[in-house]
Amino acid sequence: MELKIASLTSGYGRVQIVNNVSLAVRPAEITAVIGRNGVGKTTLIKTIIGALPAASGSISFGAADVTRLGPAERARLGIGYVPQGRGIFTRMTVAANLALGAGVGRAASPDLERALAFFPILGKRLSQLAGSMSGGEQQQLAIGRILAGRPGIMLLDEPSEGIQPSIVQEIGLIVRRLRDEVGLAIMIVEQNLALIQAVADTCLVMDKGAIIARIAPGELSDPDVAQRYLAI
Amino acid sequence: METAGQIVSWIYQYFDNFGFLLLAGVGLILIYSMMGVINMAHGELMMIGAYVAVSAFHAGAPVLVAIVLAGLGAGLAGVIIEQLVIRHFYNQLLSSLVVTWGISLIISQGTLLLLGPSVMNMPTPLGSFSVGPFAFGVYRLVMFAAALVLIGGVWAIFRWTRLGERAQATMENPAMARALGIDTRRVYMLTFGLGAALGGIAGAMFAMTATISPFFGQNYTPMAFITVVVGGGASPILGLAYAGLYLAGVQTITSNVFNEYVGYVSVMAAAFLALLVMPSGISDFLERRRTRATQR
Ligand SMILES: Nc1ncnc2c1ncn2[C@@H]1O[C@H](COP(=O)(O)OP(=O)(O)OP(=O)(O)O)[C@@H](O)[C@H]1O
Ligand SMILES: [Mg+2]
Repeated sequence: MELKIASLTSGYGRVQIVNNVSLAVRPAEITAVIGRNGVGKTTLIKTIIGALPAASGSISFGAADVTRLGPAERARLGIGYVPQGRGIFTRMTVAANLALGAGVGRAASPDLERALAFFPILGKRLSQLAGSMSGGEQQQLAIGRILAGRPGIMLLDEPSEGIQPSIVQEIGLIVRRLRDEVGLAIMIVEQNLALIQAVADTCLVMDKGAIIARIAPGELSDPDVAQRYLAI
Repeated sequence: METAGQIVSWIYQYFDNFGFLLLAGVGLILIYSMMGVINMAHGELMMIGAYVAVSAFHAGAPVLVAIVLAGLGAGLAGVIIEQLVIRHFYNQLLSSLVVTWGISLIISQGTLLLLGPSVMNMPTPLGSFSVGPFAFGVYRLVMFAAALVLIGGVWAIFRWTRLGERAQATMENPAMARALGIDTRRVYMLTFGLGAALGGIAGAMFAMTATISPFFGQNYTPMAFITVVVGGGASPILGLAYAGLYLAGVQTITSNVFNEYVGYVSVMAAAFLALLVMPSGISDFLERRRTRATQR
C-alpha cells in the first residue's frame, strides 16, 4: 500500500527535528532515505510508525489517514517496522518472535512458512532464545518477523549496521525479492553505499531534518556526490 | 524424638517463612517487573481480599470459593486503581511509590470509616500434626503449597498463553511491542489486575491465620516490598524464588537462635547486604551476568 507524507514535522518535546517532509513510498518500490549521522532519519521513521507524534502535517497509508493513530493501530493496518538495533525480544525464542509478527496487518495466524522461505536459517533456530543469535541472524529475524504478518509496507532503519558484509549482501537480495515477489512498498534508511546502490529505486537525501534532494542511486557512484550527501 | 521434633520444627518454620514471603510478594513482583512500579497499596489489595473472603465464608461459602472471590474482588479493585491512577506513573519508580502509598492510606482509612475498627476472624482450617513434643499446623504447609501453585500459574500464563507472550514482549521492549500491534495499555491493565488478584488470594489465605482489620495490609506490605526489591524485576519468578529462599533462611536461623524480633530485624539486614552486592536485585544481577557471558 502507498505511504504518503505531507509537510510533516516532528521531534522530541519542543525540539523540532523532522522539518516539513513530504514524500511517497509506493508498492513494489524501494525508497532509500540517506544522510549523515544525526540528521533525523530515525526520527522520521519513528514518526511514521507513530512512536513519536506528528507536530504538524499528515501521514496516510492506503486509504487511511493515520496521523493521529497510535503505533499499535498503525501496525495493525500493515505498517511493518524493522528498527535500528533490530528490536528483537532477546529473552524469547525465535519462534515466539516470529509469531508476534502476526500483529502487523492483523494476520489471523503467523505466516511462518513465508518468513522461513525468505530466511531458511531461522528454521534451524526456532526453539533457540533470540538473544543468543549473531547480529546478522537477529537482523534476519527482525525482517522475517514482519513477513510473518501481512505488511503493506516495510520500514527498515539501517539494516546493515554492525553486520558482516556477506550478510548485508544477502539482506540486499532479499529486500529486492520482497519488492519483486511480494510487491511490498519499502522504505530503507541507510548509510551503507553498497547496500543503497544494490536495492534503491530512488534516494531521498536528508539534511537537518528536511529532504534536500532526490537522486538516482547511480549518481552515488560519483565520489563527490557520495561525499556531499553521506560525508563518509 | 526430641531432636527429630527440633529438626522438623526448623524445617517447618523455614517453609512457613518462605511461603509467607512468596505469597505476600507474588503479585507485587509481577507488577514491578512488568511496569516498574512498586505498588505500596498491595497490602490494601490483600486486605480487600481478606474482607471478601471472610464475608463470603460467614455467608456460608466454602473456603475455596471464598478464596476465589477474594481474588476476583481484589483483581477488580486493582483494575480500577490502575485505570484511574497508576497507569500514569509507569516506569517512574519514585512518583509511583508516593502515589501508591497515598492510595494505600486512602483505602485503609476509607475502610476504617466504612467498617469501623472492628476486627473479623476466620478459623484456621485443617488442624495439626505432631512430632515429639512439637505440634505443627497443617494449614501453614498448605499456604506454602498454595504459593507454589500460584507461582506455577503465573509461569504457565506467561509461557503458554497469547496474553503471556504479549506480556513478555511488552516487558522487554514496550515500544517494539506496540510497533507489532500489541495494545500495551491493555497488557498493563490485565497484568496489574492479575497481580492484584494474586494479592487478594494471598490476603484470603492470610485471613485464616490473622485477625482482619482495616490495617491488615500493613502486616504484609513491608515484607513483600523487601522481597521484591531483593528479588529484582528482571525475572519475576526467579527473583521471588531466590529472594524468598535467602530471606526466609536468614529469618529462620536468627529467630531460632535469638528471638522473633531479631529474626525480623535480620531480614532487613540481610536485604541491606544483598542490595550492597546486587543493587538492582538478585534476578537483575544474574541476568546481567548471563548476558555478559553470552556476549563473550
Ligand atoms: N530521544 C531523543 N530526545 C532528544 N533528542 C533526540 C532523541 N533521539 C535523537 N535525538 C536527536 O535528534 C537528532 C536526530 O536523531 P536521529 O536519531 O533521528 O538521527 P539519524 O539520522 O537516525 O542518525 P543515525 O544515522 O546516527 O542513526 C539528533 O540530533 C539526536 O541527537
Ligand atoms: Mg538513526
